[in-house]
Amino acid sequence: MDKAAKIIIIDDDSDYRFTMETFLNRNGFETLTAEKGQEGLDLIEKERPDLILLDVMMQSTYSGLEICKQLRSNPELKDIPIIGISGMSNELGVRLDKWGEDEYFKVDEYYEKPVDREKLLERIKVRLAKGVSRLKPKWNYS
Amino acid sequence: MTVSQERRPIENSENRPDKKWTIGDLSYRYILDLLPCCISIQSPSLHILFSNKRFEKDFGDGIGRLCHEVYKRANEKCESCPVEKTFEDKKVHTSEETVRLSTGEMAQMVVYSTPILDALGNVTAVIELSSDITVIKETEKGVKSLGQSMAMVSHEIKNILEGLHGGAYVVDTGIKEDDLALARKGWKIVKKNITEISNMTQNILYSAKKDVLKNQLVLPKEIVDRAVGLLLDKASAMDIELEIQTNPALPSVSLDPSSISRMLTNLIWNAIEACSNDGESKLHTVVVRAEFYDKTHFMFEVEDNGVGMDDATLNKIFEEFFTTKGGSGTGLGLSVVDKIVKAHEGRLEVLSAPGKGSTFRVIFEIR
Repeated sequence: MDKAAKIIIIDDDSDYRFTMETFLNRNGFETLTAEKGQEGLDLIEKERPDLILLDVMMQSTYSGLEICKQLRSNPELKDIPIIGISGMSNELGVRLDKWGEDEYFKVDEYYEKPVDREKLLERIKVRLAKGVSRLKPKWNYS
Repeated sequence: MTVSQERRPIENSENRPDKKWTIGDLSYRYILDLLPCCISIQSPSLHILFSNKRFEKDFGDGIGRLCHEVYKRANEKCESCPVEKTFEDKKVHTSEETVRLSTGEMAQMVVYSTPILDALGNVTAVIELSSDITVIKETEKGVKSLGQSMAMVSHEIKNILEGLHGGAYVVDTGIKEDDLALARKGWKIVKKNITEISNMTQNILYSAKKDVLKNQLVLPKEIVDRAVGLLLDKASAMDIELEIQTNPALPSVSLDPSSISRMLTNLIWNAIEACSNDGESKLHTVVVRAEFYDKTHFMFEVEDNGVGMDDATLNKIFEEFFTTKGGSGTGLGLSVVDKIVKAHEGRLEVLSAPGKGSTFRVIFEIR
């Protein structure tokens, strides 16, 4: 049997980490979580996940965008797909789509909370299929 | 007192109903004095050569004095003086200025300057016309703040929805898998978000409503017990101890119990979050007190040993929509506290140090 694809969830909201982890586990993924930026970077370095689900507006010193910057400038980690999740929204003047244009802050795609879980699942499958993942998820995708 | 002839209309038309009205009946000085805006004529050195009645009413006698001295009681001229620009290019200029009226009040004015030219086309003097737009500016601020509040609120609702969706998914999964513990965990998340949304709704209502207090005699201890009771679940979910210290000798006092309960809820809510945001792994405690302040006053106190605040943060905490909570929080909590304290003619004191914690003290007269 193929090994499950590994997703790291980085978010400072513990409820979100738990509910998203439950959701992804039930859909056949192996998950690991981190609350803070540095903890997330260390975990990524150690675990080499297939995809990262990243809160881009965290309060901690290493904000989500800082993590993006560090990952994208690291030749070994730069190809891991990152899906940005944000609690912030455009009406507050936060333009993630603009930040996405910056080469350092380039998440592969991003979604706002509340996350449409079915759509997210679909996008994760697409990203993993396109991505550099060496591992296959439990389920089959064509 | 004599009234100068030139300031009066030549004839009162009411006495002569048959007479056709013409502007020639009025002196220009009289017309200028009637206008509901400030008019002055200024020299190249910005000295006031002439002013109308409204100007004198708002700023006193300015003749012979410098414009900025009269308008702003300032020694330096304004940064982008429209009068000076008109002297330079003979064009009409405009600016918005904050001025000080002779009553001491501040006002926002829109200022226009227009040149007076001599036969050779040189600017000999400049007319300055200013209108008070304080009310318009306040309305503008209100509209802006409404927009901002809608954004903050919709943002916060999205976060709560995320919690509700996620929690409900976990409850469903627990039920489907016959895992009661998992369902309970999901239910706890759902309940937490229900508390969040009801707290937010209360704060929106309080920040919008006029200060109508329904005072009644009540024991401070009862309000403390009620507010703490509401937040016990939130605190225990974050491993934070909530402690009550109330002096049994405190008498009943006249307060609006629902407002004061809201005020304490917001202070305790913030204290809990200040503890939960503190990276240090120590025992976090929030102490809520009701105690005598002096012989005629008593106080509520909410003390935490959480993250604390620096001076820059302290200066901004009572501003509406200011929040240190990043992705969560509407920034309404403390502005609602401030509003309730003021409505009760109370006093609010804050003591805080980064890494040590914060104490919010509210002092009221015993009556």
